[in-house]
Amino acid sequence: MNKKRFVAALFTAVVFAVPAAAAEPVKIGVLLPFSGVYGGLGSDQERALGLGFDTFGRSVGGRDIALVKADTEAKPAVGLQKARELILRDRVDLLVGIVSSAVAGAVRDYVHNAGVPLFITNAGNDLLTGARCSPWIIRTSFSNSQIVRGMGPWLHGRGYRRAFLMAFDYSAGRQMMDAFRDSFTAAGGAIAGEEYPPLGQVQDFAPYLVKLKSAAPDVTFVFFAGPPAIKFAREYAAFGLSSDIPLAAAGWLTSALHIDRQGGEVDGVYSILNYVPSIANAENAAFQRAHQARFGRAGSEYGVAAYDTARLIVDALAAVGADLSDKRAFLRAVHGVSFNGPRGPFRIDPATNNIIQNIYISQVRKSARGGVTAEVLDVLPDMRDAAGGCRM
Amino acid sequence: MLKTVTRAPDVRDPLAAALVAAAAMAWLFTGDFGKEVLSEVAVFAIFAMSLDLLVGCAGLVSLGHAAFFALGAYAVAAFGVFVNLPMWMAMPLAVAVTAVAAAAAGFFAVRLGGVFFIMMTLAIGQMVYAFFLNSRAFNADDGMAGIGRVDFSFLALDSGEPAVFSAFAVCAAVAVFLLLRMVARSPFGHTLAALRRNEPRLRSLGCPVLRCKLAAFTLAGALAGFAGALAAQHNGFISPDLAFWTVSGEVLVMVIVGGMGSLSGAALGAALVILLRHHLAGLTEFWVFYLGVLFVLMVLFAEGGVAGMLSRLPRKLHRRGGNV
Amino acid sequence: MVFLIQLLNGLQLAALLFLLSVGLSVVFGLMRFINLAHGTLFMFGAYLGVACAAAFDSFWAAFFLAPLLVAAGGAALYGILLRHIRRKSPMQQVLVTFGLIFIGFDVARMVWGRFPYSIAEPAVFAGGVQIFGQVYPAYRLFLIALGIAVMAALYLGLEKTRIGAMVRAGVDNRRMAAALGINVERVFFFVFCLGCGLAGLAGVAAAPVFPVFPGMDMPILILALIVVVVGGPGSLKGAMFGSLLVGLADTFGQVVFPEFAAATIYALMAAVLMVRPTGLFPAATVH
Repeated sequence: MNKKRFVAALFTAVVFAVPAAAAEPVKIGVLLPFSGVYGGLGSDQERALGLGFDTFGRSVGGRDIALVKADTEAKPAVGLQKARELILRDRVDLLVGIVSSAVAGAVRDYVHNAGVPLFITNAGNDLLTGARCSPWIIRTSFSNSQIVRGMGPWLHGRGYRRAFLMAFDYSAGRQMMDAFRDSFTAAGGAIAGEEYPPLGQVQDFAPYLVKLKSAAPDVTFVFFAGPPAIKFAREYAAFGLSSDIPLAAAGWLTSALHIDRQGGEVDGVYSILNYVPSIANAENAAFQRAHQARFGRAGSEYGVAAYDTARLIVDALAAVGADLSDKRAFLRAVHGVSFNGPRGPFRIDPATNNIIQNIYISQVRKSARGGVTAEVLDVLPDMRDAAGGCRM
Repeated sequence: MLKTVTRAPDVRDPLAAALVAAAAMAWLFTGDFGKEVLSEVAVFAIFAMSLDLLVGCAGLVSLGHAAFFALGAYAVAAFGVFVNLPMWMAMPLAVAVTAVAAAAAGFFAVRLGGVFFIMMTLAIGQMVYAFFLNSRAFNADDGMAGIGRVDFSFLALDSGEPAVFSAFAVCAAVAVFLLLRMVARSPFGHTLAALRRNEPRLRSLGCPVLRCKLAAFTLAGALAGFAGALAAQHNGFISPDLAFWTVSGEVLVMVIVGGMGSLSGAALGAALVILLRHHLAGLTEFWVFYLGVLFVLMVLFAEGGVAGMLSRLPRKLHRRGGNV
Repeated sequence: MVFLIQLLNGLQLAALLFLLSVGLSVVFGLMRFINLAHGTLFMFGAYLGVACAAAFDSFWAAFFLAPLLVAAGGAALYGILLRHIRRKSPMQQVLVTFGLIFIGFDVARMVWGRFPYSIAEPAVFAGGVQIFGQVYPAYRLFLIALGIAVMAALYLGLEKTRIGAMVRAGVDNRRMAAALGINVERVFFFVFCLGCGLAGLAGVAAAPVFPVFPGMDMPILILALIVVVVGGPGSLKGAMFGSLLVGLADTFGQVVFPEFAAATIYALMAAVLMVRPTGLFPAATVH
């Protein structure tokens, strides 16, 4: 800490010694995967982040905002290297990004000890704002259980009594299924069966779908994301299940990134997520319009988290006059920010540093233009995680 | 003109000396970030040298060497976090566990010749990856944090400081280099080299070929485990992708680029690839493509790698000098 | 009934693995050369299938064109690169093809981007059929039939034709075959291209079932390698039984021991190699 103060003091001295120099820019390290299998999500978030800063301000309090990119490749060890690079070499003031929870887990201690504020724009592991929370780490995306917790009572309210659960055997899958199971059984539902296929192999869902059919549930609840999500939805339909057993899913099954490549096979799917492009509010309309104009495609749930993060940072910087010499004051300013974004009301919970946001339950329907879209059925307002595990 | 038969000086030991000197310079004159990179290079140098024992010395190309790197990392984490042993004890135990695992895997692998050995090791690597990916005790895909570092408090040093840990890692790399050089120069090392050149002849001479290969595989695995144990401490974190095939591929790239059969070459390769990655990744998101191209070109046109080029350099200079 | 359905699931995976591994296996039998970029060719088969299906708006155009394109790619690969490394050690050959995996991964990203694609199955096989009292996707039955058809064609080709005899002679004893005036190099080229074409076929056939994305090649390459190791290199029989064993073990492993699903295949491989270090039906001596 002393060393840092000293450096800061030195810095100030240099700045004042050279009166002609402009104010130092606020340097923000962008930690996203640009190569590798998650490359698509990383570039989606990076674009939306850029769009966000262009929209809400490229300079605050006389200081420009400078972004420094680093490619985590979605690998924990590489992510940690890059975090070190950004903090030690590039001396960034803030960090933004991180798609994979494993990368977030890897950089957590380092960022915490270095005392550099990190805004997580995707990684949803509950622990990051639970048992492993940190005053320096703010999450603007979601926590896994925050997303699905509302689905149990909702499905039960629609008359579904026996649910079959399925997700890959990994932390996100387990956390979402645990949260769903708890909420569904608490509402009075029963679990007809659960399957957790291993991750990272040649994926054939057929053996599990056959088991699912034998269990004869009222409804199926799943979490799959990326290529396996597309595959699961197809096979669910191909095995003739979609006509008998309604499919409900954490909304990445029909992500805005690929719903245009999915078709009739996802017609009727119930999804629960913090964002769908069809949300009706002025901020979302502006976001989608700008995104479409600049990138030629709809903004996704990944993009919107990065876009909102830009706004959060700009607002919090404005509140402290772009003065980051007291990082804790900046963090307090972050807790003070609230606005209506594309996802609805946005604020950060000071107890966990996780976002408080609306969760949307929607249904995929054939749209007038030929494709399918997710249409909002219900809004669960201001979903907030219990502060239970987190002690700052 | 008389043909001079003077042998060109062997550049490889000078190369080792130069590498140590470069490490010392880096340690003295770079900031914390430079020292973090130095630790990383040292860890991967150990990893690459262990693979070079297999590839360069015994002619056994393994595409699953990361399995043992990951095993070492996971074992040190298990002993350190679950059993709560100090790192000084956890590290040798982790190396021992890795050695046993390498011996078991080697039992299947070394019986297969040439290309089949390669395929078997690739499968072993993916098997270990799949195992850790599904191991709930280690938080599966999320990986596990909170792994401590060796304690230097008896020297009044804090191993959390990049300066201390990088010095430790570099010393470890030098120790592994000396150990492996000793092995390579021992009768066992000569047997391995002979095995690479002409296995049938060695077999007909009554040499227990399989046992020699198994010994080499076990030693290489154990040292990769040592590198993994260091990496786990450096990062304070482990995750299944330590065992992923791309890690095995990258360490093989290091060995090939640096120069097969030269221990210091392997270390040089580790340094080159890591520095290149830090710089290329900033320039292009398709750096894997360039790495692949570099790898293919090195395999095709530069069998001795960079170390081989360096060793030919004095000879060329010598020849040019002679002509004048 | 459920058992029979699961059997079909296993057979479908086996059929795909057979298409992929037979090329690997026979090329190895002939030339002691293993192409680790075989999975990459599978991936390119799928991508080219996507491209052709989009260009001609027809699954069948993709189904026939993509394998040809991949085979042509294989021929080019052979002419530009592999022919020149024939003299090098087998180790260097493998390493070059390993480097190609890295290159292929990024080339797929450069050309097709990072988002997953898929092809719609042809209208004939779009729905499900009633079988054993359950709905089963017709396209999966088609995949099984495709595997059987290719196997039969290869069997006839190997056993009944002149070039088949040359291939068998080359696998049995390359030097002797060469001494008898067979242009082993040309036979090898032919078999190599055929193997590439089959990998492409597997890719395009898999595209309606498996999502197409950079990185789809590695998991299936590993399975195909295990098939070759388990089945024993160099023989059609080995590829066939290896694929069946691996396909069924994978499927039933997930059904019967879901906790160990990740490890079933590897346990199978270890067990086979314990008993028969050269695989079940080796046609070529391994060393």
